[in-house]
Amino acid sequence: MRTDYHGSSSPNITNFGRSILSMKRDPVVHSIDHETHYQDSEIEALQRQVTRRFHELSSVESHELLSVSWISKLLDVFLCCQEEFKAIIFNNKSVLSKQPMEKLISDYFERSVKGLDVCNAIRDGLEQIRQWQKQLEIVLCALDYQKPLGEGQIRRAKKALTDLEIGMLDEKESNTNLAHRNRSFGRYQKDSQRHNSLKHFRSLSWSVSRSWSASKQLQAIGNFFPPKTNEILATNGLAVAVYTMSCVFLFVMWALVAAIPCQDRGLQCHFNIPKSFIWGAPIHSLHERIMDEAKKRERRNTCGLLKEIHGIEKSASFMIELTDSIQFPIREEKEEEVRKQVEEMKIVYEGLKTGLDPLEKQVREAFHRIVKSRTEGLDLIARGNE
Amino acid sequence: MESPDNGLQKAQQIVLRWDSTVSEDARARMIFQSDRQEIDDYLQAVDEIQHFMESITVSDDDQKSQKVNSAIQIAMARLEDEFRNILISHAAPIETESLTESISPIHMSSRASSSLSEFNDSDDYFGRGEDDSVHTIGNLVRGESSTTITSYRSTSSIREMDLIPSDSVHDLRCIAERMITAGYIRECVQVYGSVRKSAVDSSFKKLGVEKLSIGDIQRLQWEVLNAKIGKWIRAAKVCVRVLFASEKRLCNLIFEDLGTDADDACFMETVKAPAIQLFNFAEAISISKRSPEKLFKILDLHDALLDLLPDIDAVFESKSSESIRVQATEIVSRLAEAARGMLSEFENAVLREPSKVPVPGGTIHPLTRYVMNYISLISDYKQTLGELIVSGPTTGSRYSDDSTTPDMDVADHEGRSPLALHLIWIIIVLQFNLEDKSKHYKDNSLAYVFIMNNIHYIVQKIKGSPELREMIGDGYLKKLTGKYRQAATKYQRATWVGVLYCLRDEGLHMTGSFSSGVSKTALRERFKSFNAMFEEVHKMQALWLIPDTQLREELQISISERLIPAYRSFLGRFRTHIEHGRHPENYIKYSVEDLETAVLDFFEGNAVNQHSRRRSN
Repeated sequence: MRTDYHGSSSPNITNFGRSILSMKRDPVVHSIDHETHYQDSEIEALQRQVTRRFHELSSVESHELLSVSWISKLLDVFLCCQEEFKAIIFNNKSVLSKQPMEKLISDYFERSVKGLDVCNAIRDGLEQIRQWQKQLEIVLCALDYQKPLGEGQIRRAKKALTDLEIGMLDEKESNTNLAHRNRSFGRYQKDSQRHNSLKHFRSLSWSVSRSWSASKQLQAIGNFFPPKTNEILATNGLAVAVYTMSCVFLFVMWALVAAIPCQDRGLQCHFNIPKSFIWGAPIHSLHERIMDEAKKRERRNTCGLLKEIHGIEKSASFMIELTDSIQFPIREEKEEEVRKQVEEMKIVYEGLKTGLDPLEKQVREAFHRIVKSRTEGLDLIARGNE
Repeated sequence: MESPDNGLQKAQQIVLRWDSTVSEDARARMIFQSDRQEIDDYLQAVDEIQHFMESITVSDDDQKSQKVNSAIQIAMARLEDEFRNILISHAAPIETESLTESISPIHMSSRASSSLSEFNDSDDYFGRGEDDSVHTIGNLVRGESSTTITSYRSTSSIREMDLIPSDSVHDLRCIAERMITAGYIRECVQVYGSVRKSAVDSSFKKLGVEKLSIGDIQRLQWEVLNAKIGKWIRAAKVCVRVLFASEKRLCNLIFEDLGTDADDACFMETVKAPAIQLFNFAEAISISKRSPEKLFKILDLHDALLDLLPDIDAVFESKSSESIRVQATEIVSRLAEAARGMLSEFENAVLREPSKVPVPGGTIHPLTRYVMNYISLISDYKQTLGELIVSGPTTGSRYSDDSTTPDMDVADHEGRSPLALHLIWIIIVLQFNLEDKSKHYKDNSLAYVFIMNNIHYIVQKIKGSPELREMIGDGYLKKLTGKYRQAATKYQRATWVGVLYCLRDEGLHMTGSFSSGVSKTALRERFKSFNAMFEEVHKMQALWLIPDTQLREELQISISERLIPAYRSFLGRFRTHIEHGRHPENYIKYSVEDLETAVLDFFEGNAVNQHSRRRSN
């Protein structure tokens, strides 16, 4: 068991006292400031870790933000923080069963269960993206051809592109308001009979009931507040660890929902982290950047902010335009344009092909770790009550 | 004889005739619903064109190959529609009527009914559940055993059904063959997957497989959840052994040996998401809050899944379905862990059970009933639990003299399985708790009666179940028997020493001789004390209850054996002294027969009417 910082057997109050006083004097105080560092260096370490890693996440170029690889990094960060948090909890198990710690930690575990449903929804969403990836595959198969492009290939590609657009439109429909629902869509109308039967099949893609809502889950996950000073004191600073992990958890879940298609994807989520927590800044900045991305015109009705989804949308619509404009016999410049667009599409496709499976595994790993952490944590609390 | 070119031309014409983007007629009819000749002609045409495609090289006549290329695409698009159409017309959910009424499920048959009645009588216990509401222990057992209305013939092994009639399967294969050869496998897989997946979905609905989130399941009352688990177990067996297995077979029939793992791809497209949805329920159960009353249902679920694992492995044997096999295995081990956790929870709950209100009359405490019923059920499940419980209970320091916690010397129970040790520990903990509860009785005698009653109950329960007896062992049983006998003895002393003291010889004689040496005053005092004490004890202890008839009678006899001879002898020696004095009736209130009758009132749990007792002196 971790020994006290100063080697005394009881918590050293003076450090706390000092930190409280300085907080009162100067509200904008960073917790890393030497005068105000907490008794418990583990908690300090956690906060530093969170700060550093979120700074890394937020200092990416805009083309990397919300890409498959970035999401993967985000999940990595989550798993690391989770492990550190678990260690802190384990090292301080004697405090767990006392109030207010017991309530704080039990509430945290309750919220973490909500995250499990989000993980499952994300898994579904990744599967959905995989379907679109398969459509791209058909288009690439049709157009990526040694022989000169013929009408047959173009028609094949167009058909796949139509299906893709319909599929993505269905996705959006289930998330946007009625005004957009009747948007006409070229061949969409012509193939409406086929579309209706397709639509029926597609709407069965979620493994949760129709009433499940990602935004409601996020609301529940976000239902916590910064710790009060008396809580921090009474829990030897552990309340800060719980708060830190809660914010990390919320952010990760929120970002996943923002990026990946899922049912009732609402992005309204406020992060009001007090300035005294230094890791709040990178989180706020990331939140802002992602919200900015969401507000961009071309992304406003997207089914997921994942960069690769945008890539699919762009290359698909570009390709549709292109193929629409083709007249036979095909001119060389047109063919060149098609080949170029195919190369673009290939990049998107390859990215998805290599990235989706590992991402799914990571989400699953996150699921497991959340469960494990909760089970073990609840066990510790129960044993402490004996 | 036609030239090859002519044949090709004809083939192209056939294909173009069926181009639904240009021909109204082509849109209105389906090739594969027409006569056989029509179908064969079309397929042959496709083959012809395909054959041509394979033989040409880049340098060949571009225009011609372009046209043929185009024709192939038109044919493929058409075949895709035909494919979809055949599939859609055979997308009905699985037939469940052919799976007949069930044999009752493995665990919960007759033993459930015997413990059920006791459970239904006992109070709500450890009132925790997902939503902290209080629920009866009857729920422990009720869900599965009662009336299983629709169940499926014990789906104990893989049974593939024909999902699509064989001539349609043949047609589908014909189409698939052409599509795959032409490089249109992806389109084929996609169409297949989307239609079959929706068929599986409608089968799911029919089988009662629900789309519940983990949050939904957490919010359900245990009663409801209990029933859902039972339903899920039955449905899962059908899903894995019949539904998924049949889908796999269908994929094989249509796509086998057509190259590029099409059969596996189609199978995955069809069942991956439904399988995940199915297992998500079991997974949610495995991670839900652990409370003791869920133990047996969790064990049922564990056993059912464990039983299904070989079939899951068989049906999902390919590499691409690894995640499903992994998930199923994970769920089984989580359920096992949950079961272990629940057993520990139970042990803690028994220890911590805090009710302080003494049970009136010193009778069996509801906790005792609950715990013994629970233990009985555990012994019923000993096969599964025996395998899951591999370590003994955490019993606290064996060597501490701390009397505030129970302890168990494991050496006393050598050779017992870990599960048996847990059972013994539970009994130890129960006794510890009961001892504590007995301290809340103001009257020591009642406390002893209480202990005696409850430990006797424990002993009876163990004796009544051969499995339980075998697990706990006769050694410990003997110890328990000794304990309740000891309690009986303590009771005797606590109540009757005082009463019998009134009937002692010393202090009544002034000299050593018999007659004239007796102090009449003292004698009168003695009789008065005895009457008062006996009346008090009689009135009070008639209200006490020893539910077990034999035990009650034994104790009554034991009381009589001390009381009656003592009184008879006292009366015999001293009655004449009282009868020669004034108002003898004030002092000799009881005849020996009166006392004998009165003793029979003890521990009956009924109030005695004092006035009716007055009889001849």
